[in-house]
Amino acid sequence: MKILVTAKRVVDPDSKIQIADTQTSIELDDVDFRVNYFCENAIEAALELQDEHDAEVVVCSIGNEDAIQTIRTGLAMGGDRGILVEAEDEVLDGDLVARTLAKLYEQEKPDIFLLGKQAIDGDSNQVGQLLAEYLSLPQACFASNIDIIEDGAVARVEREVDGGIETIDVDLPCIITADLRLNEPRYASLPGIMKAKRKKIEEFELDDLELDTTLKVVTRSMELPAGRQAGVMVSDVDELVNKLKSEAKVL
Amino acid sequence: MNSNVLLSERDMQFLLYDVHAVDELTAFDYFSDHDRETFEQFLSACKRFARERMWPSYKQMDKEVPSFGEDARSGQRAICVHPRMGELYSQLANLGVLAASRPYDVGGSQLPITVSTAAMTWLMAGNLSAAGFAFLTTGAAHLVEAFGDTWLRTHFMKPMYAGRFTGTMALTEPHAGSSLADIRTSATHDSGGRYRIRGSKIFISGGANNFSDNIVHLTLARIEDSPAGTRGVSLFAVPKLRPEGDQWVPNDVQASQLIEKIGWKGLPSVVLDYGSEDDCIGWLVGRPNDGLSHMFQMMNEARILVGANAVATASVGYQESLEYAKSRPQGRLIDTEKGSTGPQVPIAQHPDVRRMLLRQKCIVTGGLSLVLETAKYQDIAAHGSSLTVRERAQILADFMTPLAKTFPAEWGYEANTLAVQVHGGYGYSSEYVVEALLRDQKLNSIHEGTTGLQGLDLLGRKILRDRGHGLQLWLETILGDLALAQATESPELKEYAAVLRAFVSQVQVTLRNLSSRTSLSSMLSHSTDMLLALCSFAVGWQWLKIVTQAERAADGGLQGTKCPHIRGLRHCAQYWFATEIPVAVAQLTRVDVADSSFLDCSLDSL
Ligand SMILES: Cc1cc2nc3c(=O)[nH]c(=O)nc-3n(C[C@H](O)[C@H](O)[C@H](O)COP(=O)(O)OP(=O)(O)OC[C@H]3O[C@@H](n4cnc5c(N)ncnc54)[C@H](O)[C@@H]3O)c2cc1C
Repeated sequence: MKILVTAKRVVDPDSKIQIADTQTSIELDDVDFRVNYFCENAIEAALELQDEHDAEVVVCSIGNEDAIQTIRTGLAMGGDRGILVEAEDEVLDGDLVARTLAKLYEQEKPDIFLLGKQAIDGDSNQVGQLLAEYLSLPQACFASNIDIIEDGAVARVEREVDGGIETIDVDLPCIITADLRLNEPRYASLPGIMKAKRKKIEEFELDDLELDTTLKVVTRSMELPAGRQAGVMVSDVDELVNKLKSEAKVL
Repeated sequence: MNSNVLLSERDMQFLLYDVHAVDELTAFDYFSDHDRETFEQFLSACKRFARERMWPSYKQMDKEVPSFGEDARSGQRAICVHPRMGELYSQLANLGVLAASRPYDVGGSQLPITVSTAAMTWLMAGNLSAAGFAFLTTGAAHLVEAFGDTWLRTHFMKPMYAGRFTGTMALTEPHAGSSLADIRTSATHDSGGRYRIRGSKIFISGGANNFSDNIVHLTLARIEDSPAGTRGVSLFAVPKLRPEGDQWVPNDVQASQLIEKIGWKGLPSVVLDYGSEDDCIGWLVGRPNDGLSHMFQMMNEARILVGANAVATASVGYQESLEYAKSRPQGRLIDTEKGSTGPQVPIAQHPDVRRMLLRQKCIVTGGLSLVLETAKYQDIAAHGSSLTVRERAQILADFMTPLAKTFPAEWGYEANTLAVQVHGGYGYSSEYVVEALLRDQKLNSIHEGTTGLQGLDLLGRKILRDRGHGLQLWLETILGDLALAQATESPELKEYAAVLRAFVSQVQVTLRNLSSRTSLSSMLSHSTDMLLALCSFAVGWQWLKIVTQAERAADGGLQGTKCPHIRGLRHCAQYWFATEIPVAVAQLTRVDVADSSFLDCSLDSL
């Protein structure tokens, strides 16, 4: 079995975010980066399948040169090899990412393509679905449990839907996107980090893949959410109820 | 609980890679499989583990302390630790921290101690009790690795490094704490390397738990008929379960009491009783009667970790009070008109609160820098390219260890009181976490040799007995850095260098005067003052190095003086030279003046 899994490099939410002067992107000079949380869940799921089904796990990322480190983290967690498609964030949108990943799919022909359900920077939640569409493959998004059944022919996926869990069977090959409750990702271990140095990472330029690189989504502007206003102390329940009625108008 | 970044990652990186150039170490054979990327990946994993897994359990472990209960595995009455401790411990083991800096052939990863110490600082900041189980185990396993034979390594070292067994350091007895020459635990020869052990130990950290398969107590004891004093102390591995044939059977060493204490609450400190039924077997580790010197060979590492822990605890308090000060509105700016009823300002706007914040930052970052520098000398001492290089580094590491332990422990305690102070009354309430950190911090001036003993070690052993050789080498090293600083264009650096140079001269004069004294007790009566003065001076030296590096970063256009992080470091240096070095000068004067009030004042006059 072969699994292709994504590892997007995103700004660490512990960093202090500032909007760049252009108002259309985040200032990246003084922030830290990490693997997208949901991708980590996807990698962990891939590694669990690696143990159970002797699968090869290929970790891929699209991003600038530094995304190599993100791939390396996936390899240190236990991935077997990596693929980097080099491209700056500004020249990408969700659709182009999906079409790029589709190219990697055609190259690698994995049995399962695992992704995070969304990236914590853009929060778009589109790539997995678009990818399935472009490849005409079945999709199981927001997975909270994955079992491979019927001798590796079918993935039984529990997915989180409003108010409950839906269980679906999808034929392999398929696209699965991971939700946070899927698992608790492991941390890269020191011996794993040392081993990862010797694992192969193939690198492509976005241009090598002969894609139409016109963007469908262009960011016009960004602004920070308004700061929270100071609260007020109320003296008793009556005052609270009054305020909720007259000022907040929620009652 | 609130989130807390625990340590400033920027400062940590700047210290490691710019100020202390830890990547230089990869030029040594032993570290040649490493590079900056392996360091960064490992530190990032430890940082995240500390923030995401350890810190969220810290406060619970402070409240729900270990107690006697039923060990689910054996059904017997035993000391049970917090239910989450076992899981945290095995995750720590999986990260690879236990044998991180040990050689490949014992299952390690040959990481520089400088980097493993930085990693440990993250983990200790996250949850010092869980990290405590780990570093005690590493210490115990390292002793077996260094002095044990193949049998001992296979049976005790390997399972400890692998995370299945934990380990302890069992030195202290009720009547013998600072004075280990007086320990009484006895060892009677049984057969082969086996001895029957009898006696009891107190305050043994990690002496009991209900998650590891076994606990190996590295125990100091006296073989029958051996000489009195330090020359009759031997080292033994005394496991909770001992191997008999292919079985592991109970070894008659019991954790009979839990010490109630004010901090480090998740890590049980226990009374250990050995051989109540005369069936406790210990294996001699190393040579008979050399136990203390074996133990002391590991002491530098342990003391540096105490320094790292003190930095970590101070840092968490600092970060906590920084966030609090930014969000707690109280009062109005001193410059605003009297009687103003405008909105209150966050307390971080008040000059005195700002002072308390900057002072904490100085202590945390200056202390961390000192700890890392000392650790780097240890790495060079062990793996440097030539004998001369290694010997020189060893002298410096030995000399600096009492400073790297004491500065963070003493000033760190002050930093933690400042963190409480910034919180006002809320800091004194147990609902906020800063009081717990203050309680934790106090241990660091007591264990692994009290501050008083560190002072005696520094002045008595490392300066006077050594005829100032170590001190001289250390001062030369510092003078080298001062010369570099003086050669720059920066007026600020030139001024700092001049201040430190004057201090060096004062140290030399003080020593000359000291050595002309006739009695040892009068020479040593102000040893703690000497230690504290040198601590503060050593941190001044670190600030000079930091600013030198900041200049270089600015020249390289890398981070520049505009960068808030670099600006913060410069302000710290400014503060340290303006405020703290004058105190160190006064402290050093105390050594010279050698006031004898407390010696002259008899006990019945106290
Ligand atoms: C929470 C905790 C955990 C610990 N963990 C361990 C452990 O895992 N293993 C272990 O073996 N021990 C452990 N200890 C013991 C610790 O190392 C000792 O408490 C310490 O060495 C001091 O010994 P003592 O308590 O007997 O104090 P004492 O030696 O009685 O010292 C009391 C005071 O007298 C001063 N003093 C003593 N002798 C001199 C002297 N010659 N000159 C000047 N001043 C002197 C000391 O500085 C101190 O201020 C732990 C202690 C605590 C509190």
